[in-house]
Amino acid sequence: MSKYIIKIIAFSAFTFVLFNNINSVYADSYLPSVQEDDWGDDDWGDDVWADEAVSPWTLTGFTEAAYGQFLKNNVVKSSSSLSELRTRIELNYSHSSFELTASGDAIYDNVLEEKHWLTRELNIETSLFSNIDIKLGRQVLTWGTGDYVFLNDLFAKDWQSFFSGRHDEYLKAPSNSVRFTSYWRGVTFDIAWTPEFTPDKYLTGERFSFYSPFTKNNIAPAENFIVNQTNEAQWSARLATTIKGIEYTLYGYKGFWPTPVGINPNGIAYFPMMNAFGASVLTPMGNGIINAEFSYYNSLEDRHGDKVNIANSQIRALVGYEQEIAKSLTLSLQYYLEQTQDYDSFTQTNIFKNEQVDEYRQLVTIRLRYSTLQQKLIYSFFAFYSPTDEDSYIKPSIDYRYDDNLSFSIGANVFLGNKAHTFFGQHESNSNVWLRARFTF
Amino acid sequence: MKNIFRKSTAIITSLYFIAASTYATESVKDIIQKSNLASYYSGDDGSAQARMVIVDAKGSKQMRQFTILRKDQADLGNQDMLVFFSRPTDVKGTVFRVTKKVKEDDDRWLYLPALDLVKRISAGDKRTSFVGAHFYYEDVSGRNPAEDNFTLLNDETTSYLIKAEPKDPSTVEYAYYQMTINKETYLPMQAQYFDEQNKVIREMQVLKVKIVQGFPTVTHAKITQLSDGSYTEMQFRNVKYNVGLPDEIFSERSLRTPPKKWLK
Repeated sequence: MSKYIIKIIAFSAFTFVLFNNINSVYADSYLPSVQEDDWGDDDWGDDVWADEAVSPWTLTGFTEAAYGQFLKNNVVKSSSSLSELRTRIELNYSHSSFELTASGDAIYDNVLEEKHWLTRELNIETSLFSNIDIKLGRQVLTWGTGDYVFLNDLFAKDWQSFFSGRHDEYLKAPSNSVRFTSYWRGVTFDIAWTPEFTPDKYLTGERFSFYSPFTKNNIAPAENFIVNQTNEAQWSARLATTIKGIEYTLYGYKGFWPTPVGINPNGIAYFPMMNAFGASVLTPMGNGIINAEFSYYNSLEDRHGDKVNIANSQIRALVGYEQEIAKSLTLSLQYYLEQTQDYDSFTQTNIFKNEQVDEYRQLVTIRLRYSTLQQKLIYSFFAFYSPTDEDSYIKPSIDYRYDDNLSFSIGANVFLGNKAHTFFGQHESNSNVWLRARFTF
Repeated sequence: MKNIFRKSTAIITSLYFIAASTYATESVKDIIQKSNLASYYSGDDGSAQARMVIVDAKGSKQMRQFTILRKDQADLGNQDMLVFFSRPTDVKGTVFRVTKKVKEDDDRWLYLPALDLVKRISAGDKRTSFVGAHFYYEDVSGRNPAEDNFTLLNDETTSYLIKAEPKDPSTVEYAYYQMTINKETYLPMQAQYFDEQNKVIREMQVLKVKIVQGFPTVTHAKITQLSDGSYTEMQFRNVKYNVGLPDEIFSERSLRTPPKKWLK
């Protein structure tokens, strides 16, 4: 019920503003451009700049064509990992006391052979009592200190986008939420309430295959991968402050596992209840930035870790360091540890003992980023390597920004592993190369 | 804080009288100090709209448009700065926050609106391009005078010609630079960066100065990379000083929720 109320409030607020201001937009467009004598007397060959700030409305967006190809035979339906044309439309309205954002993508997806519309943002932001900000409606939420590694950020991720080489922006999926942020004496307190739990966009077999311990090979069930949805709420909270340049943050979460890591008595996958709490610190050190984060995932429906059908609780820990090691070359390193709780019970009940994850799953990541040609050309290399799973995931990419409107990107998602079942190893056949061309307006 | 600086100014001034033989050196220090004040510390705070046109060797152009808010913690001391990008579309909503520190590394943050992500960035190399422009971060926020040794080369009728040699040459891409500082405004009107062969490799020119609330203000400047002729022009409008920016706006909040009241 509450989700509908939010949708209605957001939509009616939006339409109210839309209709109340439509006249002023037209009026503004007939006004002479801003009278700024010191701005207009030099010819920059682009009058658009002079119109800045005349209208509270802005309309921006882009059109992008993207294509990706699997490098190996895959059991999924299409041999393309990505083949789509999308147009983003973003409309903003800026008022002195609030801000409206509506943005979405119209997509023709040739992998799924369908057209669809995805609303990315539809929200209103305003402030209360001078120290509280509220953002209501569809929005993208992010926090935590990891780079492509998430501990306390349990907001929805789109792994399909991540695996297919879409822009990084799409790794974060939007949710219909209310975010309150209060600022008091240097302490920031956030609460995000998502009335209807928004899970990750996990792999279903529609675009990418995954390992089945039952069949001992990769499967692509697609629409046959049935998952029981949950429409209960999820809550996320964060308390952050900075003392002497060091950022300290506490996190809390009440909701569900973001991927369907439970199987109910009817044999249907679902999202078991999960609460989490954690903390992070981040500070400049030497010529770089060091961060550390931990989180405890409490798997509420399997408190003793003895239920074979539900994921055990976990402790997750991360340490990272980033530094510019040469001019325009940045190196980032991370070490990540994931400890399965009640490992003895886990082992006893597990029916796939040969394939079970280590008690201490470890991961190291490296990122190298080099920018050149006035930052128009960016070479990026990211790799995950797990010494415990003996697998890796390599993400190289090159981004070229031809001008303010046109940009091109090319890259790959390469999965390697010695075993068919491990976290990244199972995705060997999902390895792909991709390219994208984007026109921004 | 200001008292400390007044005291140090007083000490410098008394040294100036005691050490008459080092007259020239002290005088250079004074010029540099006045120049630093005039270039980066006008008023207690300030706001301005800026735009840059970046032109590469082939003549193709890029644009950047942004609003800068700046507040001094002390004259010639630490400063807080916020840069809000409004154009082009792919950087719109990006916010850069820096606390410029005289005695230690700057604190820097970047807000990426598409991900709703506040990212702390390492102080890093200050001589890297500011958002793709020929202006370096250091050109925008001001190079710390403590990093150079200055020599007065020429005392002309309207300007001083000063040579600046880096104390640590490994941190810069030039051998030395020469500045022409206007005697009336103390603004550097030209700076030329030389390599070891005494060849000019990079040049900064001020194209326009305007008096705003009594402060001589650069409203148009250009930096040229002489090796390939590529350049960036930067222009300012709506320059205001002593606007009364509150300390609180120089915080994480302004990255996510820009303080619209101060951006007009």
